[in-house]
Amino acid sequence: MKIKEEKKKSKSVQNSKSEEVEEEQPSITEQNKLKLKQKQKQLPSHSDSDSDPDYGSPYVSDSEDFSEDGDFDGSLSDSEAGESGSSGDEGVVDSDVDDGLHNDQENQSNSSESHQGVEESDSSEDEVAPRNTVGDVPLVWYKDEEHIGYDLNGKKIKKRTRKDKVESFLESADDAKNWLKVYDEYNDEEVEVTKKELKLINRLLKGKAPHSDFDPYAPYVDWFKWDDAKHPLSNAPEPKRRFIPSKWESKKVVKLVRAIRMGLIKRDKPKEEQQFYHLWGDDSSSTEKANHLSFIPAPKSKLPGHEESYNPSLEYIPTQEEINSYQLMFEEDRPKFIPRRYTSLRSIPAYDNAVKDVFERCLDLYLCPRVRKKRINIDPESLKPKLPSRRDLKPYPVTCYLEYKGHMDAVVSISIEASGQWLASGSLDGTVRIWEVETGRCLRVWEFEEAVKFVAWNPLREIPIVAVSVGQEVFILNTGLGDEEEQKNIKELLRFETPVAPDDSGDKVSVASWHQYDKHEGIRLRHFKTVSSVEWHRKGDYFSTVMPADILFPDTLTDVKTSMPLLIIDLLHVHCLKSRAVLIHQLSKKHTQRIPFKLRGLPVSSVFHPTKKIFFISTKKNIRAYDLQKQKLIKKLETGLREVSSISVHPGGDNIIVGSREGKLCWFDMDLSSKPYRILKCHPKDITNVAFHRSYPLFASCSDDCTAYVFHGMVYSDLNQNPLIVPLEILRGHTSSNGRGVMDCKFHPRQPWLFTAGADSVIKLYCH
Amino acid sequence: MAKPDSKPKQNSRPKAKKHYRPAGKKKEGNAAKYVTRSQAVKHLQVNLPLFRRLCILKGIFPREPKKKVKGNHHTYYHVKDISFLEREPLLEIFRDKRAHEKKVKKAEAKKNPDLAKRLRTRAPTYKLDKVIRERYPTYIDALRDLDDCLTMVHLFAALPALEREKIEVQRIHKCRRLSHEWQAYISRTHKLRKTFVSVKGIYYQAEVEGQKITWLTPHALQQVMPDDVDFNVMLNFLEVYETLLAFINYRLYHSINVKYPPILDPRLEALASDLYALSRYFDVNSRTSVVDPQVSSTSGSEQVETQKVGTASDESELRLAQLQHQLPSNEPGALMRLVEDDAGDTEEDDDTRECKKLFRNLKFFLSREVPRESLLFVIPAFGGVVSWEGEGAPFNEDDQSITHKIVDRPTLVRTSLSREYVQPQWVYDCVNARVILPTEDYMVGKIPPPHLSPFVDHESEGYVPEYAETIKRLQAAARKEVLPLPGVGNEDLEDPQKLLSEGIIDRAEASEAAERKRKMILEQNRYLDELKMEVEGVQNSSTPSDNKQSSSKETEAKEESEPDLEQIVEDYANMSKTVMSRRKRKIYEAMQIGKQRKKAHVDLLKERKKKIQAAKESEEN
Repeated sequence: MKIKEEKKKSKSVQNSKSEEVEEEQPSITEQNKLKLKQKQKQLPSHSDSDSDPDYGSPYVSDSEDFSEDGDFDGSLSDSEAGESGSSGDEGVVDSDVDDGLHNDQENQSNSSESHQGVEESDSSEDEVAPRNTVGDVPLVWYKDEEHIGYDLNGKKIKKRTRKDKVESFLESADDAKNWLKVYDEYNDEEVEVTKKELKLINRLLKGKAPHSDFDPYAPYVDWFKWDDAKHPLSNAPEPKRRFIPSKWESKKVVKLVRAIRMGLIKRDKPKEEQQFYHLWGDDSSSTEKANHLSFIPAPKSKLPGHEESYNPSLEYIPTQEEINSYQLMFEEDRPKFIPRRYTSLRSIPAYDNAVKDVFERCLDLYLCPRVRKKRINIDPESLKPKLPSRRDLKPYPVTCYLEYKGHMDAVVSISIEASGQWLASGSLDGTVRIWEVETGRCLRVWEFEEAVKFVAWNPLREIPIVAVSVGQEVFILNTGLGDEEEQKNIKELLRFETPVAPDDSGDKVSVASWHQYDKHEGIRLRHFKTVSSVEWHRKGDYFSTVMPADILFPDTLTDVKTSMPLLIIDLLHVHCLKSRAVLIHQLSKKHTQRIPFKLRGLPVSSVFHPTKKIFFISTKKNIRAYDLQKQKLIKKLETGLREVSSISVHPGGDNIIVGSREGKLCWFDMDLSSKPYRILKCHPKDITNVAFHRSYPLFASCSDDCTAYVFHGMVYSDLNQNPLIVPLEILRGHTSSNGRGVMDCKFHPRQPWLFTAGADSVIKLYCH
Repeated sequence: MAKPDSKPKQNSRPKAKKHYRPAGKKKEGNAAKYVTRSQAVKHLQVNLPLFRRLCILKGIFPREPKKKVKGNHHTYYHVKDISFLEREPLLEIFRDKRAHEKKVKKAEAKKNPDLAKRLRTRAPTYKLDKVIRERYPTYIDALRDLDDCLTMVHLFAALPALEREKIEVQRIHKCRRLSHEWQAYISRTHKLRKTFVSVKGIYYQAEVEGQKITWLTPHALQQVMPDDVDFNVMLNFLEVYETLLAFINYRLYHSINVKYPPILDPRLEALASDLYALSRYFDVNSRTSVVDPQVSSTSGSEQVETQKVGTASDESELRLAQLQHQLPSNEPGALMRLVEDDAGDTEEDDDTRECKKLFRNLKFFLSREVPRESLLFVIPAFGGVVSWEGEGAPFNEDDQSITHKIVDRPTLVRTSLSREYVQPQWVYDCVNARVILPTEDYMVGKIPPPHLSPFVDHESEGYVPEYAETIKRLQAAARKEVLPLPGVGNEDLEDPQKLLSEGIIDRAEASEAAERKRKMILEQNRYLDELKMEVEGVQNSSTPSDNKQSSSKETEAKEESEPDLEQIVEDYANMSKTVMSRRKRKIYEAMQIGKQRKKAHVDLLKERKKKIQAAKESEEN
């Protein structure tokens, strides 16, 4: 309706194509708005032409490119051009108006665009013809000219004289309406914005429709007359298929009907709830077993203890320091749950890990391999073997009865005379002392230059002599005990006229040389290497010496024949050297011989069999028993120990105990096997020595941990019965010095007494 | 018709096959018995998630072969387990489900919503009852494995429904319903034995059919939903557990002649007091099913029942006393056996009877801030009557017969003099001690005494908290009043017969305790004798079959000038260790380590306690 009014007002028939300046269509776009703003600045120049709105409207409508032309200025110039042509008289204009009407109608019928009602040209510029006609050219071109362009009649438009800046400023300051004035560069004039225009600008700035009369929410008028459409869009006749029923559909229906009838298609059943019933019946079938694998039930979760309580006793709550110390622990060791105390039930917060705990349990249940493990739930004491009462096994050494003091340094070795009356001891201070056992009186002292390594009494009672190993030498010394006849025999025995060269016929190497030892009236046996132990044969004529130290030394190499091929030399060399580590000496003949066997490994000690002609040599890992008469290996015992330190043979001869440096003691039964019958782990440190009692079923071990163990070791004559081993007593009393404890232990030959020699230079006698 | 023909054929085929072994396949040993997980998945032609799901549903777990043929980092399943899965009908259903999902997807992709909708209504379904029957061949088996099930169901009952984790509202509701049904049964039949309020939640222990069932319910607070939890796994487990618990509930309800599933009063259900609704349901149901027509109300019937049982128990006690007189007094074992024979079948009832009587004449009222659900479960389980603030409650706060009001507030507003105002912990402690504890310590506004776990065996733990001793004393005091046994008035707690009559320990334990005590006394006497002899300087060789070890030790001690007793004891221990075989020695040492660890823990506790006491004393001073 408004548009109609406008029509009347402007006498323009075109309702949609052209528009007045004031009249803006609601469909105006943002872009146009902007342009409009630009235009507003230029507008005032045409304010005069505003009075006659009829002017350019028909021309504008004529211009074809208007609707498509987005460029405003271009359209302006175009319309101007048109205007310039026909602005002559008004009559023409009027007729043109009528033409325009017709044109408009034609347009309507021809172009569907106009029907859409969307395209609204912003042709509001029509009557605002600018004074200057140069068109859209850069004004720079006229910079140096007098004029700025040409007016409608083609006359130059002169530039106005430039005002002084001060002047213009003063002028503008005086003028109250200065803020309304805009300089139009194009036409070179100042334009004042009218009130109407001002209003319009304000509205535009606010984002409203520029004209205050315009109602953006007016009811929609459908201008298109649908009812009057005479012709259909498509002239094709209606196809036949629109009128007949579909064959395929009916086929499908028949199929479905059949399927339903046959029960192939079922109607949707209502969802049924799960029915519960007696799943396990009456448990009468409980006897039936699952026919396959054993089910391992998951272990139940641990039941909570006091510390998980919301209000535990105060002692369950760790202190802050303890909580801090948890941070230093390994993550696995860290307690997962730190007890906390809440003073009332209402203050308990939600537990953060509630879901996570259950989830982890789930994971455990289906991801963890399950194994059935037998848990021993017994009293640990029941693991200990039942031992016979110690009281029944008496007597055995229990308490320290005597101490023999006098040595200045660690006592390395002790030996008891066959009668049990005398005790010989050798010490690192280079002395050998003879003691009276029962009184503790020191009878005799020999002094040597070097530390004494070993002392051994002759096992025969009537020859009270002592073998002492000092460094590389072994001395056979007369103690001066016994009656005169015995002394005479001994002197005879120890007399040694000439230093005889070693008479071993085959051997070129002198392994030991016999000398008279005048200082203490005895015999001196010089070895080529340090002697570690001296063992007497039971008959007192033979004794063996062991030199465990490294055998390969250059002296011997030179002795070997050079003509021999090198390989054989080596073989021979090794062969002969091995056997040189253990020597057997005969006292009566002053004769030395090597053992005629191969030895593998370093020898540690050697023992004679108490009754038979068997000789035991222990290397670091094994014990070998040789028959001396047949000169062959009888048995090899595998200890399984790392380093054997000592060996002792049972007086019966069938059992051997071996002490090792790792603190283990092996009992071998020769009749049983080459493996230990029993391994006793008793000492935390090296076992220095082991000893059997000659008559009582006792044996002892002494160690660097300052203790000596006494065991009951009963060997039965019945071969079917295994030896009985019972630990009886731990003897303490020695003190450690230089990391060494008890160096040697020996039993009294007849009494159940034990002598121990300590590194603290004391010898102790333990009695029952 | 064709079956009988085909059967022998089927039988003969594997027989022929049995001897054929493809090259490279092992016939026996670990290589043939165990397969790795990937092998199993390949064999079953399923994907890993489905395999896991099947394992969860069927309860199949990896096993540990003695020799891991494929390497240490693999998971091994037993071949039989896998073939068990292979023949599972569920496997086929899951395959169908997968195919069905594809159909739906296809329909949706072709923009055929009708078809998709129709297909969705026809998704293949499955039931787990057969699976549960297979997993738990007997009812007892199922009960034995109920711990995890209950914990999980109770947890889900407290969880919020989460769309993103596929935790549906119906699921949560189902869990709530199941857990309430279970609790209602336990409470109704007075099978609850222990409760424990921990930081993690509230633990309950019930005894059903001789099985101790422990479960954890979270505190009634908003639960934290962690991100690193795979809810699919939990939901799979829940699927099994829901079915299992439903069947167990069915059986339990039928055992007390109540229909299952229960139909609840919708009004009470709406008020979220399902437990009370269930108990009402029980009342109604049992009233109809009670054989005695003259008993009108269930509470009345209960009382009659308890009285009856009470008299029976009195009788048995009388008889016990008589028997005690007849028997020689130093033979507790024989008496024990007799009592066992006598009361062997009613033993379980003893406990329930005791539980039923605990709160019998007490009437509780819960204040708003108290955990209502837990107390509504616990108090009726021990024979109490309980009400709460809010709609649907059985009685109001101004009921004069209320004896205890349970309040958990910082300050007390006392409105009635006739009732006691206690903190909720009092109820739990009473239940654990099975004695009505004095309420002074549990007054409102006070910090209550420590809440102790009823699951701890103090003897094996080696440390008894102070409050446990107090409770023990109170128990003893309460018992003495209730059960004055003739002839055994002045004995201490150690006496096994007394313990038996109190029902603290069961019979086997009692006999054990008696035996232990007898031995101890014997040994003590012996030891004293020996000491005496040694003091007199007599070398006792006459005691033949005594404990020789100790005596010999003693003699040694005497012989030595300074008897370093500790040294001797240690020596003796070492000595017997030397003769042990290596394996036994290692076990022994490991045991000693365990002992030491325990002792260290106890020592730590003692030390802390000492410190706390010292601090307290210094404060007082």
